[in-house]
Amino acid sequence: MTDLSMYRMSQLSVGMNLPEVRKEITQPKINLYAEASQDFNPIHIDEDFARKTAAGGTIAHGMLVLSYVSQMMTNVFGRSWMAGGRLNVRFKTPARPGDTVTVNGKIDRLDRQEERTLVMCEVICSNQNSETIITGEARVEVKNDENID
Amino acid sequence: MPEENKGEYIQLETGYEFPPKSFNLDAEAVSVYQKAVEDSSSLYHDTNLVPPLAVATFAMKILAEGLALLPGAIHVSQEFEFIDSVSVSEKLTSYAKVGRTRSRGGLHLMDVDLSVLNPDHKTVLTGKTSFVLPEQGGKR
Repeated sequence: MTDLSMYRMSQLSVGMNLPEVRKEITQPKINLYAEASQDFNPIHIDEDFARKTAAGGTIAHGMLVLSYVSQMMTNVFGRSWMAGGRLNVRFKTPARPGDTVTVNGKIDRLDRQEERTLVMCEVICSNQNSETIITGEARVEVKNDENID
Repeated sequence: MPEENKGEYIQLETGYEFPPKSFNLDAEAVSVYQKAVEDSSSLYHDTNLVPPLAVATFAMKILAEGLALLPGAIHVSQEFEFIDSVSVSEKLTSYAKVGRTRSRGGLHLMDVDLSVLNPDHKTVLTGKTSFVLPEQGGKR
């Protein structure tokens, strides 16, 4: 559990940045994800194949990078994210071995209701060259006046 | 699923339902997943819960197993709604259905709607995956 999970709903505000998640992408990590997900598309794991495609080399699975977004949301919103979270993203540019991927999130809107608040966050994953890998929105509904998790 | 039994995406029309697939997120599979995505959150250690993206990932195997996607397929967008949490060893069933399809500029676009149910037949996750695929060479 991260420190933010001790936040109370009333402490969240529009414009607040979520604590970023940063990961290094390597070919062994991509290969491990292929094993875990059973997604052995050669564009991810076969360097000779991938080099001859428009990608010009292997790329990470989109769902691997998306998992980092979910990690950021879980770190902040805990169980509320796991049962009440929504993600809507677009994959813009692939992540490649050697990339450093940073996930950032910012609270975009808070829709406070009597017992619960809908928190809408802008999420973005970018690489070390500030190229956008994933962009989109995450929403989570949390109970008011309770620790987030 | 044998390669010859896979659906050729170019022939799949809106409403086509992939064969449902049941799966069990055992502790080892979840552990391998967490290692692969470098997710060491204590939330999972303390509660036996499964990361929601792990549920989504395993559920989406139904696509890989039921759909002959060419290596040139591009995953362009993704939606998920995590409706309920899932515990390790819970038996889940994944359902997938072709949503909207359209062709544009030599590319074939396809949405696949996904839902995952727990043993009580309660939906724990829904999603929509959108692919862009080369229009030529739909058969391989």
